[in-house]
This record gives sequence, C-alpha cells and structure tokens, in this order.
Amino acid sequence: MSRPLADFVDMLRHADVPVSIGEAIDAARTIELLGYEDRGLLKSALGQVMAKTTDEMESFDHCFDEFFKIETKLDMGGDLTEQLGEDEESDGNGMEAPSLLDNLDDGSPSSSPSGSEGGGGGGSGQSAAEDGEGGPATSLTEMLEAGDRTGLQMRMGEAADEVGLSNIVLSTQRGLFTRRIMEAMGLDGVNQDIRDRRANEADDSADELERRLNVLFEATRDMVDRQLAMTAQGKSTEFRQNVLKKVRLSNIEHRDFRLMREMTRKMAKRLTDMNSRVKKVKNRGHLDIRKTMRRNVAYDGILFETHWKQKEKDRPKVMAVCDVSGSVASVARFLLLFLYSMNEVLPNVRSFAFSGDLGEITDLLKENGPEEAVPAAIDKYGGRSTDYGRAMQDFKDLVFNEIDNRTTIIILGDGRSNGSDPRVDILKDIKTRAKRVIWLNPERKSIWGSGDSEMLRIAPYCTVAETCNSLNKLELVIRDLLKTS
Amino acid sequence: MTLIDKDPTAAIADIQKRFEGAGYICDRHIATSIYLSRKLDKPILVEGPPGVGKTELAKATAELMGADLVRLQCYEGLDESKALYEWKYGKQLLYTQILKEKLGDLLEDAQGIDASMEKLHTFGDQFFSHNFLEARPLLQALMSDNQTVLLIDEIDKSDHEFEAYLLEILSDYQITVPEIGTIKAIHKPVVFLTSNNSREMGDALKRRCLHLYIPFPDADRERQIIQARIPEIDENLRNQLVAFVQQLRTQDLKKLPAVSETIDWARTLMLLHAESLDTDMVRNTLNMLLKFEDDIDNMDSEIPKLVTAAKKEAR
Repeated sequence: MSRPLADFVDMLRHADVPVSIGEAIDAARTIELLGYEDRGLLKSALGQVMAKTTDEMESFDHCFDEFFKIETKLDMGGDLTEQLGEDEESDGNGMEAPSLLDNLDDGSPSSSPSGSEGGGGGGSGQSAAEDGEGGPATSLTEMLEAGDRTGLQMRMGEAADEVGLSNIVLSTQRGLFTRRIMEAMGLDGVNQDIRDRRANEADDSADELERRLNVLFEATRDMVDRQLAMTAQGKSTEFRQNVLKKVRLSNIEHRDFRLMREMTRKMAKRLTDMNSRVKKVKNRGHLDIRKTMRRNVAYDGILFETHWKQKEKDRPKVMAVCDVSGSVASVARFLLLFLYSMNEVLPNVRSFAFSGDLGEITDLLKENGPEEAVPAAIDKYGGRSTDYGRAMQDFKDLVFNEIDNRTTIIILGDGRSNGSDPRVDILKDIKTRAKRVIWLNPERKSIWGSGDSEMLRIAPYCTVAETCNSLNKLELVIRDLLKTS
Repeated sequence: MTLIDKDPTAAIADIQKRFEGAGYICDRHIATSIYLSRKLDKPILVEGPPGVGKTELAKATAELMGADLVRLQCYEGLDESKALYEWKYGKQLLYTQILKEKLGDLLEDAQGIDASMEKLHTFGDQFFSHNFLEARPLLQALMSDNQTVLLIDEIDKSDHEFEAYLLEILSDYQITVPEIGTIKAIHKPVVFLTSNNSREMGDALKRRCLHLYIPFPDADRERQIIQARIPEIDENLRNQLVAFVQQLRTQDLKKLPAVSETIDWARTLMLLHAESLDTDMVRNTLNMLLKFEDDIDNMDSEIPKLVTAAKKEAR
C-alpha cells in the first residue's frame, strides 16, 4: 500500500470512519484500477469502498477534500522541481516539499549562482558548527547555505518523526512542535553561527543566514499546520469526547451540548445493537412436544430432531422519572437527554419529569428532537422547588396500577427535598410491586444525607442506589439493566 | 489479479450509457459502483429511501448482462432452509418406501447384521446427494449454469443470524452443506443487497460489500427518468410535475415522495389527460404522492403556492 493511502486511511480512522484492513486493501485495488487522475471518480469510488454508512460518508467526503487538497500542492511541487531541473523524490517526503521549495525559491532566487559569496562566509560557520555540536555530518548551517532542498526536506521529515509530530492534537501545540522540530534539526548550531558571525562582524552573511533560517521556520510551521489539519481535527474531537465521557455532568458546558447529544445517541445505538440480538433463550430440559412432532414429520414421525422450549426474553419495561428542579439544574439537561436516548433504545419507556408536580413527558420526547424537547420539559416542569413527597404521590396516582413485576423504575435525582417528607412509604410500595427501583444520583455518595438530602432515607427502598455523574457511568448502569433483564 | 482498464472513465461512462439504453437512468456514482463490483468481485449493499430504484438497479443490471435474476426477499424469521437449501424429505421417504423390497433383494445373500451393514455402506450416501438437495435462492444463484444476478432484497428485515449465513457466500461465493461439502459458484454471481436502514447491518457484512447510497434524484435526473419511463408524456407537464415533486421533498413530511411515486403520479396525470398542473387536479391526485393522511392534510393549504412555484420553475 502506498504511503499517501496509508496516511489517508489513518486520517479516516481518526475521523470516525473505521476502515478495516480488508477495506484498505480494496481501496488500494480501487486506486490501482482507476488511478489518481479523475478526482471526482476516485472520490465516489473510494467512498463506496471505505465508508459504509451515511454518517461515515459525510466524514469521508470531508476528509477526502481535505487530504487531496494537500495532494494537489504536491503535484505543483513536482512541476516546480521539473522546471528547476532538479531531481526530487516524490511521495511521502514530497508532501512537505512544495511550500519549502516555494519559500526558498521566493526568498533566495540567486542562492545557487551567488554560491561563492555565501560559501566564503560559510567556511567559518561550518567550523563553528562542528566545534559546537560535533554531531551531524553536515550541519544545518551548511545545508542552509548551500540551499540543499532535498537534504533540508529529509532532515525536516526525520526531525518531525523524532519529535512525534503525528501526535499533535491541539492547535495550541503548533508553536511547541515547530520549535521542537527546528531544534531537532540543529537550530542551536545555526543560532550559534549567527552569533559568531555577528561577533566577527560578518553582518552580511549573518543576515543572510538568519533570513534563510526564517524561511525554514516558515516551512516547518507550514508542515506542522498541515499535519494538524490532517489528523488532529479528528483526534481532537476524539480527545474531547473522551474527556466529556469522564467529566461530571454538572461541569459540562453548554457549548458541548451538541457533542454530548451525539455521544448519547451513539451510546444508545450501541446499547440497542447489543440488546436487539439475544431475545430467545433455550430453556434446557423442557421438550417442546408439539414443535418436535411437527419438525419430525419429515422423518416419518420418528423423533430425530428435538426442539426445546424457548423462553422469550422480555425487553425491559422502563419508567424513568427525572428531577428537573433548580438543585439539579446543571445536570437536568443531560439527564433528560439521557431519557431521550433511552426512548430510542428501549421500545417501551415512559418518561416523567418533576420538580413540584410530576407529569409525563413520553410524548414530548417522542415527537420532538432533543433540542426542542429538553428545554420544553425543563420549561414545563422545572423551576419550582423540589418536593419529592408530592412527586411520589403524583407518580403513584398516575401509574401505580401499571407497575408490574416486569417494570424497572429509574429515578434520576439528587434526593434533596427541601425539608419536606420524601414519602418513602410510597417508594416502598412501588418497590414491592416493581421488578426493580434504580435511583441514580448525580451527587457523590459522601455527601448523601448532608443538608436537606434525603438520600440515606431513600436508599434502603431502592434495589440499587448509585452515583451517576458521567456518561461512562450512565452507560454502565444501562448496560447492566439490559443484561439482567 | 484484476484486469486494469486503460481508461476506466470511459468504461464507466459506457456502463452508464448502457443502463440508459435499458431504461434505467443512473448517475456516474451508481455506474462506478457497478464497475467496481465487477472488477473487485464485491457485492453491493444498496441503501436509500424507499422507492429510489434500489431493486430496479438489480433488475436493470440483470437485463444488461443478459443474466438470470435470482431474488431473495428477506423477512423476519427467514432461515437457512428457506434461503440456502433444504433436503427433499418427502422424496427421500418415498424412495426408501419404493426401494424397500429392492433392498431386501440386494441384501439377500448377506448373512447376519454385520455383513448387511457392510453391504449397505457400499451403496454410499445416496440419500444425501445433489439429487435430494432442494436448492433455495442463494444456492440456485451459485449452481446456475448461466451468469446470475442475485438480489437479496430488504436485508434489514431479516434477523441477525441470517446475516451470518450470508457471509460465506458474500466473500467467497460458496456454500458449505455439511453432508455434501462446499459448493462453489460456477459463475460468480453479481450480488446486490438492498436495505432501507430499518436496522444497522453488522460490520462483518458491511465490510464485505461496497456501499452505495442512492438519494432522491435531482430535478434533471428525475426528468430524464420520467422521460425514459413514460416517453409519451408532454414535456411541459413533465417539467411541471417534476418541479412540484422536488418542492414537495423540501417540505416537512412523514414520508417523502420517491421516484416510483413520481412515475405513478405522472401515469395518473396522463390518464386524466392533463396538459398542465392545476390546483384541483393536484389536490385530487395527491394521494398518489403522499401516503399519510397527515401529510395530505398538512399539504392541502400549500398546494396552490406549490403549483404556482412549480409552473414558474418549469418555464
């Protein structure tokens, strides 16, 4: 597989398009078939080979445009070197080539012809560099003086590998990486040379060297920028998502809401996929006589094939109650978002929200997108001071008769009831009736029971009472719920 | 190794043209997909909203290649005995009944059970051979003497387990029947899988396929399609009705009208001898395009506006 394709695959993988090895091989064959000439054709072909959902298609389109924008530059670089009549390697290193060549060209068109002058100044510089470093065979100063593009380029590529440029994630790291690459290439030696020359009053050659160094700086910065554009965009999203998964829900800022939504959706989808698979479980030891007979008609009624009774696994019936009052305002958004996703995962979820009064929001969530539904629910039921007692009573009035031994009840709330009775007696009734009562509290266990928190009184009447303050935790809880049901 | 064309662009353009000749208007994206699938020997997973011609694509390909179309309609509960193969139990029973006496004759000279058994073994597995194998669509497609196009329709309606049955046939074009062995394709069939995305397909399946997404066509393409399907339609009316449908797709509807609905509607309008769109006629025939009562109600007030806009657009 060619290096550009490998880079492209790498870029796709960071942009949420999981390209398998098999698909990469197919992509290589596709390129072999079609060639690089017709970009539009190649894009549509590679898209079909590598991106397998519409979401992935979108990322793919974006990546392709981004990636081959750089490739176009590479072509230009090729032409340019041809014009210059220089022998230039293409491919990998060539990627970094064009702008460097451009810059060196713009900056010092007369570099080769005026070699004698530069060379004269270079003599002292060379010795100084060798004294100073004693390391590389040809010093950076020398290369700069000679305008050795190929050499510089290769050195730049090596330096980039050395400092791990491919790990760049954030745009704020640009300066750092540029600097590191320059240093790895021997920046210190050049600076030393410049100082020496100034000390020797060879200002002209010092200026010239400095100018060329700046050109190299520019080129390096360009390279870093390109790398950033290529992989880092995907990576930084990945990075942020990883952070968001772990961070406490209350600390997530509003601007991350969209990203969170995307993540909850993905989580929900993953859970659905897992859940939709196993629905029937063989009940060993119980022969299903009727089915066995029917199956063995083909064998003249002799019972060759046995059929065992199966147990249909029920999808859990879930009722979710969410506190949207002031005390949990910062988390309520995400809890509701989560409820919303649950609606997508499980077919029969009924959702309720309360602060003072409690009301059903199942339809609200079903009919609207999360952007509208979540604020609407907070608007309708939020804002008032929490009264768990009242909410419990409402809940009981509303659905107590529908709770049966297959129902799981999830309550999302901090258990802070503003001093009013949380009516644990109702909770107790509910628990005896329901299959399970799960209480998810965004607060840490250590502060349960402090102030007006009734959590310690509530917890004994729940099957599970857990802290749940990050996406990861939410996912774990739901996974358990699906597994055990 | 794959044969490399000198000019793939021309080959793809050729495919597109031939499709057009067969009455299936496709864009370059679709043609590329067919080309790739032939060259890479890969099945195509076709996705898109209902009615954009996913199944049609397979039919057109079959016609184009002069191949037989083998179609497998998926549904919940579809299993291997209906999709891959089954033993002809009835025939087996019947044969054993008929051969009973014959067996007696054959075994006559054998003394004792051991000798009889020995003799029976020499007959071989007569009852589990190709003669008693009932080939279902997937096996049919592999065993056919002619080139076939295999269409696995609405794969998303089938169960997860069924996807697993498909993997062998999709990647290696072969089926393993435990009693007989592995049956390899005589001619590698061209495989299309269509999906409406009612559930996500497994990664293993997706990895083995090319992924082709067919969206609703743009106005130009849709005009071409109508032209190809109903050549006798008046040009003016055609442009108007396509413009109308295109606008309808930008509205907030439960189910957007697809190409097949546009074609049906165009036929309806032809039957009614319409020469151009007018509000009443559209209102009366809207049920050809919209399949939900809610949608029809919602659009009712919009119709005059849409008709005027469509007429303006078409001019």
